[in-house]
Amino acid sequence: MSEKLPPGFQHPVIQNAFGHLAAGRLDRREFIRIAALLGASAASAYALVGLPAPAYSEGQLPFPPDDPKAKPGGVLKVAMQVQKLEDPATFSWVQMSNQSRHTLEYVAITGPDNITRPMLAESWAASPDLKTWTFSIRKGVMWHTGEELTADHIAWNVMRWADPAVASSNVGLSVVAGLLEDTGKKDDKGKPIMGLSKGAVEVVDKYTLRLNMNRPVLSAPEDLYNYPTAILHPSFKPPLSENMIGTGPFALAEFNVGDKCILKRVTKTKDGKDFKYWGGTVYLDEIAYYNFDGDNQLSAFASGDVHTLYDFTVEQLDLAKSLPGVINASRTAQNICCRMQVDHAPFTDKRVRQAIVMSVDNAKVKNLVYGDDGDVGEDHHVAPVHPDYGPLPPLKRDVEGAKKLLKEAGFENGLQVTIDVGNTDGPWHQTACEAMRDQMKEAGIDLRVNVMPAAKYWEIWDKTPFGCTAWTHRPLGTMVMSLGYRTGVPWNESHYANPAFDKALDAAEATLDVAARKDKLAAAAKILQDDAVMVMPIWRPVYTIVAQNVNGYQGHPTEYHQFNKIWLS
Amino acid sequence: MLKLLGTRLLQMILIMGIISLILFAIFDSEKFKKQIAVNELGGFAVSALSDQDYQVWLEKKGLNVPFYQRYLNWAGGVARGDFGKSFEKNEPVGSLLAARLLHTGLLAFWVFALMIPLSLTFGIIAGMKEGSAQDRLTSFVAVVTTSLPEIATAIILTVVFALGLHWLPPNAAMVNGWEWQALVLPVLTLVLYDFGYVARMTRASMAEVMHSQYIRTAVLKGLPYRRVILRHALRNALIAPFTIIVLQLNWLLSGVVVVEVFFQYAGFGKLLLDAALYGDIYVIQAATLVAVFVAVLSQIISDVGYTFLNPRIRFA
Amino acid sequence: MTALEIGVKPALPLHLRVRQPDCLIALILLTWIPLTFYVMFGFYLSDTVRNFVLLPAIPATVALYIVAVVSWRESPVAVIGATLVFFWIFVAVAAPYLPLIDPNKPIAPFAEVGALKKDHWFLLGADFKGRDMLSRDLWGCQRVLVWGITATLVAYAIGAFFGLIAGYLGGWWDQAISLVCNIILSFPVMVLFILILNYLGPSGFNIVIAVTFASAPAIMRIVRGLTLDTKTRDYIFAAQTRGEHPLRIMIFELLPNARGPIIVDACLRLGYTTVAITTLTFLGLGLQPPDPDWGLMIKESAKVAMVWRFSYMLLVPALSVSSLILGFNLLADGLREMSMRD
Repeated sequence: MSEKLPPGFQHPVIQNAFGHLAAGRLDRREFIRIAALLGASAASAYALVGLPAPAYSEGQLPFPPDDPKAKPGGVLKVAMQVQKLEDPATFSWVQMSNQSRHTLEYVAITGPDNITRPMLAESWAASPDLKTWTFSIRKGVMWHTGEELTADHIAWNVMRWADPAVASSNVGLSVVAGLLEDTGKKDDKGKPIMGLSKGAVEVVDKYTLRLNMNRPVLSAPEDLYNYPTAILHPSFKPPLSENMIGTGPFALAEFNVGDKCILKRVTKTKDGKDFKYWGGTVYLDEIAYYNFDGDNQLSAFASGDVHTLYDFTVEQLDLAKSLPGVINASRTAQNICCRMQVDHAPFTDKRVRQAIVMSVDNAKVKNLVYGDDGDVGEDHHVAPVHPDYGPLPPLKRDVEGAKKLLKEAGFENGLQVTIDVGNTDGPWHQTACEAMRDQMKEAGIDLRVNVMPAAKYWEIWDKTPFGCTAWTHRPLGTMVMSLGYRTGVPWNESHYANPAFDKALDAAEATLDVAARKDKLAAAAKILQDDAVMVMPIWRPVYTIVAQNVNGYQGHPTEYHQFNKIWLS
Repeated sequence: MLKLLGTRLLQMILIMGIISLILFAIFDSEKFKKQIAVNELGGFAVSALSDQDYQVWLEKKGLNVPFYQRYLNWAGGVARGDFGKSFEKNEPVGSLLAARLLHTGLLAFWVFALMIPLSLTFGIIAGMKEGSAQDRLTSFVAVVTTSLPEIATAIILTVVFALGLHWLPPNAAMVNGWEWQALVLPVLTLVLYDFGYVARMTRASMAEVMHSQYIRTAVLKGLPYRRVILRHALRNALIAPFTIIVLQLNWLLSGVVVVEVFFQYAGFGKLLLDAALYGDIYVIQAATLVAVFVAVLSQIISDVGYTFLNPRIRFA
Repeated sequence: MTALEIGVKPALPLHLRVRQPDCLIALILLTWIPLTFYVMFGFYLSDTVRNFVLLPAIPATVALYIVAVVSWRESPVAVIGATLVFFWIFVAVAAPYLPLIDPNKPIAPFAEVGALKKDHWFLLGADFKGRDMLSRDLWGCQRVLVWGITATLVAYAIGAFFGLIAGYLGGWWDQAISLVCNIILSFPVMVLFILILNYLGPSGFNIVIAVTFASAPAIMRIVRGLTLDTKTRDYIFAAQTRGEHPLRIMIFELLPNARGPIIVDACLRLGYTTVAITTLTFLGLGLQPPDPDWGLMIKESAKVAMVWRFSYMLLVPALSVSSLILGFNLLADGLREMSMRD
């Protein structure tokens, strides 16, 4: 098979993936994603599988091509929560990273097509065992100080993420976790302290950085576009808002938390020379984020105050449709997970959980809330948009079966349960739970929907016996399954503990072959689904709206803003 | 008089001290510290924190110190003009509050500038002739406008003037810099609500004066009606409305919360609500103190002013 | 008035018998208790009880309304006010029996006023979830009325109690109570509400506590003033000489004689409390979804209805709450007018 593949596609994992593609076990987009992750050019990967490539710049720039009609200048106004900028490595919200995204750039960039391309790196290559990753750093990238970006700077950032004193959530990313080893020391609670293993981050020369990991990692470049991995200048001292030095085309001009964040084009370096941006033409003069709380963003758009917004909820869709503008719906792996704690009566009885799950028709719930948008959930936590998703036999609602199970479990006179709902992503949580309530009634289950304020829900989300929790998008199915359902992990809100499931998940994570990994993850998902831990009705889309005079806007599934090529007419 | 002023001011400082201590004690609870953590880090991140990480976080925020110690530090800071730093907005509370108070001050200025002449005029005209058509009309309008809560007035005005006629912007977030038009609806909302109350009080006061012996005498003496009203009646009829108008400052601090939130106007009221929902203790403290200060001060001014204006009352 | 005090009940004609204090109290309780139970604890009632508990309240409300109109017929203002207030009370008790569809049932989102969609005629349109606005608006008055009146009552009970003590006992009691009241009164009301509800968490019961905190000191001042005024009267001295317990004197001698101004103030205060509940719910500090109430309807719609086409979603609850408050205010005006005439 390998002789058919052009140069750049020689990595064994790509070849293997190509085999699966030929055998119909892998989807073409998925193949492109893997090839690009392993260093092949995205454009040639598109060409190879015969899909039309989205327009990207000539040469090596990870941005759309210049638009000959484009009119430079202008201020793009965006409604979003303006949050504090303390330290990118500890960013806890995507909004924060959007405020810094056009100043602090990333090693790689994942486009709206979910393909990861080199950004501050020019290219990368992985060893056949996926343990050694070599990044060639782009030459001629200028910091706002006038210095040139080198491999040392990136290495400083990676080492910083691994520093326990920084407490960056990046240590949870496989690319960083693979660099860590047990230092032998323990903290007060007996948890081992992890430190960077010796020689893990290797600066080969001025423009080459090598990461030597102790386990195979496929997603390294993708991880390096996770929002807290923005590349800082080594002179960085928190808070970021005081002195934000980056490589991007914009710099912070005015900043007030809860008010506004104004970014202006960089023209001069700090020492007064001309600043040259590596990424080609940028049209806007200014990006202005204005603080509007989630629910108010659309009314700000409606009154013409802003060109676009961070997101709006499905309840506001009809209002959005009545406004002049282009609505953008991105498929995501954001959801609501109505999970039951398996160690809390009556959910200790598997039959009760099964009855609850069986009495709900996920597709109906989804259609009621999101209409034709979004994906129907399957009562496990891998979404169809996840690259490692494998389909399972479709679920069927079975009211009679639910009644029978309830009877067996000793609830022939009906069961009464209460679900806590915090509407943390908007009132649609409640709508979904109310739809479930109406469906469960037919099976003799009396579901009470207990609505509480979002802040209160976050205090109890992992404590309530039956709660409706919103999980955000994570790039991989294995990632979210590990975070949420492994025995004893901190975010295991359902207290689910099943060695068979843990084993199946381990097996999936250890598999590098993409098609086999899908099957193994599907097997783990099936165990979770059969154990009836949750009703997971909806994978929701994320909506934004853009004014008609904004050109070149593309919605991103993780709500990351990429405004380099946007222009206003 | 000075002695009275002194005791009142001393009382105010005492009250402010007690209130801030109570607030510190309340916001020292575990629940509120958690609330700050949840707001800052997100619910997911907080529950993933180990106890140790959480302690580290508390230390970083300066929240692990016992509250009486924090209170003393804070009180010392306040004495030096340092109100602490906002958790949410990451900037000194003093400058933050000053900017917001300026916005609310502007709002308040226009509210008073419109409300006082409007309500006094109507109140006096109504009170001049009790039971006349103008009296009944004024009373009716006053009852109706005071019965519309601010939130309802805000909605009705917005729907008519912003959404329907497109004359005015529907919110006062002022994204494109300062816009006077954006201030119209919030000011009108507050004026409409308050107008009725003050007008009714003025009317009652005026009516009482018109019944008094000396006005009757003046009228019987054959003095021109205009002169009776302007020279004799008004002077006495305006004493009661004066105290009431000053006390409206206190009401305004309540009223601005809902108006500023509805119109998204970055003022004092919105700051207070945001801070309360976030658990931003130093902002809550400072905002509460300002509110109490204004409220008590307005009470003092109204008392002192009343004494000053009314020749029949003199403090010993 | 005299008829009430004769005490020859059987001989009275029906319309006068109904106006006996005992009878009035019975009617008020008959309206009030089922409604309060229904709204506050409806959760715990079985379906059959829920279906019938409000039935006796309907005739009681109507009877009360008739009594009110008859007794206040000399003041048109009071009659208009009473009509508005009793209209909403009637709607509150009759809501389960009116031909309304489930106020929480989503049918056709954003159906406009008068639209016929999915076999349902939306007289006042539908909200963003497709719930019938008419049904939500009418059901919504239950929560506003029950929590508003309860909060005012509790505030009155506590404020009057302390006012009586401060006024009647005087001295040290008066000093201490007045000091606490001064501290509380030095807060702008909304600031106090925000602080208390933020501390306790948003719910109906906590609104009662917050309103009590904010209103009781002012009530205490009024009652204290009235007590100071009344306590020098002869009948109080008489009671004192009889050796009656101070508590008995306060409740049975002082309080009934101060009722005139108190009732007027209570009507005004009911209005303020209604405003407070609606406003607090709008700010997210009050009642919680899913059941409708006006503040919540405004809060939910403020995010989705900011265009002319959908503005009915905001106007309907705003006008409803205004009409109820107008009712309370007119009632207070009318009663004051009548008491001044007497």
